[in-house]
Amino acid sequence: MNFLHPRVYLSLAALSLLLIIPFSTGSNFVFHLFILICSYAALATAWNIVGGFAGQLSLGHAVFYGAGAYVSTLLMLHLNLSPWIGMFVGAAVSIVLAVIISWPCFRLRGPFFALATIAVLEVIRLLVINQHDFTGGAAGLAVPLKIGAEWMLFRARWPYLLIAFGFLVITLLVSWKIKHSRLGYYLIAVREREDAAQAVGVNAVKVKLIAVVLSAALTSLIGSFHAMYLTFIEPGAMFSLELSIQIAMFALIGGLGTLSGPLIGTVIVLPLAELARGWLGDAGSGVHGLVYGLVLVAFVLTIPQGLVGRFGERVSRWVDKLPGSRTSSPKPKVSIRAAHLSTTIGAPILVAENLHRYFGGLHATNDVSLSVKEGEIVGVIGPNGAGKTTVFNQLSGFIQPSSGVVKVRTVDGQWISPSSPAEFAIAGIGRTFQIVQPFADLSVCENIMLGAFMHTRDPEEARQIACEVAALTDLTQLLDSRAKNLTVGGMKRLEMARALATRPRVLLLDEVMAGLNPTDVTKAIEIIRRVRATGVSVLMIEHIMQATMTLSDRIVVISSGAVLMDGDPQTVVSNPEVIEAYLGKEYNHATA
Amino acid sequence: MEIFLQLLLNGILLGGTLAIISIGLTLIFGIVRVVNFAHGEFLMIGMYAVYLMNQHFGVHPYVAIIPAVALLFMLGAGMQRFIIQPLLAAEGHIQIFATVGVSIALMNAALMVFGADVMTVNNPSGLGTGSVGIGPLRASTGQLLTFAVSLALVGGLHWFLHNTFLGRAVRATAQHRNAALLMGVNVNRIYIFAFGLGCACLGLASGMIAPQYPVFPTFGTFFVLTAFVIVVLGGLGSLSGALIGSILIGVVDSLAGYYIAPDLKEVVYFMIFLAILIFRPTGLFGAGRGSE
Repeated sequence: MNFLHPRVYLSLAALSLLLIIPFSTGSNFVFHLFILICSYAALATAWNIVGGFAGQLSLGHAVFYGAGAYVSTLLMLHLNLSPWIGMFVGAAVSIVLAVIISWPCFRLRGPFFALATIAVLEVIRLLVINQHDFTGGAAGLAVPLKIGAEWMLFRARWPYLLIAFGFLVITLLVSWKIKHSRLGYYLIAVREREDAAQAVGVNAVKVKLIAVVLSAALTSLIGSFHAMYLTFIEPGAMFSLELSIQIAMFALIGGLGTLSGPLIGTVIVLPLAELARGWLGDAGSGVHGLVYGLVLVAFVLTIPQGLVGRFGERVSRWVDKLPGSRTSSPKPKVSIRAAHLSTTIGAPILVAENLHRYFGGLHATNDVSLSVKEGEIVGVIGPNGAGKTTVFNQLSGFIQPSSGVVKVRTVDGQWISPSSPAEFAIAGIGRTFQIVQPFADLSVCENIMLGAFMHTRDPEEARQIACEVAALTDLTQLLDSRAKNLTVGGMKRLEMARALATRPRVLLLDEVMAGLNPTDVTKAIEIIRRVRATGVSVLMIEHIMQATMTLSDRIVVISSGAVLMDGDPQTVVSNPEVIEAYLGKEYNHATA
Repeated sequence: MEIFLQLLLNGILLGGTLAIISIGLTLIFGIVRVVNFAHGEFLMIGMYAVYLMNQHFGVHPYVAIIPAVALLFMLGAGMQRFIIQPLLAAEGHIQIFATVGVSIALMNAALMVFGADVMTVNNPSGLGTGSVGIGPLRASTGQLLTFAVSLALVGGLHWFLHNTFLGRAVRATAQHRNAALLMGVNVNRIYIFAFGLGCACLGLASGMIAPQYPVFPTFGTFFVLTAFVIVVLGGLGSLSGALIGSILIGVVDSLAGYYIAPDLKEVVYFMIFLAILIFRPTGLFGAGRGSE
């Protein structure tokens, strides 16, 4: 972190206001308000790791908050253990809980994940009430009043503020670290398109679990602290759906998936609701809830991307005009793509043996065996619906064959059979999708970086690789545009670039030329040539015969799920069976 | 054995009450594809409407159903038109936040207007509060009536969706929004109608259950989570699934409350809920689109 950059020093100055304002007023109410702001902002920031970065809408996050509160209070009551230690035990419990809950629930999308998290929250709350001998039941538990820093209990308000502020800083740091690391990029990739993420070697379940574990642990720590601040805990308040919604809402209003959003959302909405409650006090008890509800609906209808999502870039641009923000000079180019041509050119690298795949009664792949040699370009042709893409999906792990094996030769000569898309990608099988799957909201550069992360953890290095791959695929001028703004040709090249950035040894191209204009086709052919020149094998499904014929060393014809023919291009296209498969019997009769 | 049979009967009858509440939710999800987290609050509003009509005009809750249905239809249609429709193209989590926001706002508005007191309708006629004997068993007449009405509601909706022009347009929209649009269906209007219809079911529900349940601002949350469990269990969007799911959950509720522990019965069916979500997210009777 460069402290001289205006973005950094301004953020730190703004953050310090959270301490300066209460200390300068000295009023107990202001202290209380700022303790609330700091702890809710920390909760929202922690929630944002799961709800924003990973895109899993949890509405049961109070489970971790409550677990932290209960574990540390119970340890203090029964074992006389200081909450400074107890909170870590609570965090450990929350981590275990998080893994148990999330593992099965990650399969669920949209509202189902949210409903599952609510159900878990309810179950835990009811169990805590039920086990009253241990937890105090619905009546709750009082924290033993042992005043002293070692017990996290103070008479004055200010030490609580310092602790809450400390937690906020820690969660912000964790969040900042994630956002600027490979994990951050991977989380966005999984959130946007899980399939495409797996194709560049991302283990979707693993990255989501890491996010949940970090978020749960942080939430739990804040829960432990809050129990000490409130000195009384009960299931209704600790495991509350309302609290879960509130923290999610602060993050949404500030901007999901942004770093400062959850904090900004809290700073704006929480005082508003607290003040409304203060002013209207007697007028009615529902006021602050009503404010929350109305603000939430208003935001969702007007700026659903949140304050930071909407205005963040503009503010950053102003800030960057301040002194100290000169852009760092680009680092000297290190060539990542070391020119070491493999010594095993010509030996098989990817082998499929007797693949069968059934979809119900449909025999989509019927005894397909094929082998790709290193440095070879193999064209795969066949009529529509012949099962070419199904074979590709088995060669890249997206579909498991009903029987048969796919083997890949690793760099050190071992033959392995990967079992998931991510493992295939790591073994060196890169692929594109017939229906392009760009990470639409990311820039072209970031899209390619996601592929590059397979071999590096460092975002700078990934950016370098992305630049090089972009040069290879004619995307250099488009590096900063958003992927969704590309033309069809650009998207197809981006698909290729992303796969290439993983430095594959075999590249599976699924109709990368379909729908391209003639100029783009020529460009694509040129790119595939360049790719092969670096020693990469290419297996391509292609309907554009001009491309298949000029590029392929060998052509495999697939028809009705089976390999019809496998040979050099000239023999294949003059074979009567192939013509029949494509054009029907009548065509052969007519020309005969 | 007699206790078991009585519990079973109680469970099935409770299922009728749950069904009448859940049908609207599954209808809205099946057609508009929005999970309405404010469903419970609409029920709460219906209950207050019935209560107010009962207090001011002395009408029986069953009579108050007619205006309650009209009121809730308009509320639902308004919600669709002004809150959901602008967000149809938005991401799923945005819609969830929107309905959650409406839910919080309505619940707290009720708290401001009516206070936190529990209010009960006056029912001097006793219709809907007594009980009848069936052999050695007892059944509440209110619950029996509610059960019959919910059966009729499912039947009626089914008939409507399959035998009228509007019903067909609704089903077409549910199956493929854009294809329906191309066939000349005014999709936005269908959505408004469907949302209104789903909420109107709650107007019916609030009149039917008012003799048995008092109303308070958080009344909705009391039922809404159960309704979600039922709707997922039966398969989101399936009317008969919601009915069967309601009866299953009613029976589980009744049996678990007696044989396990009264305060753990919700744990039991939330566990069932989680198991369903994990192992069969399309629900027991769903059409196979549950994980969309």
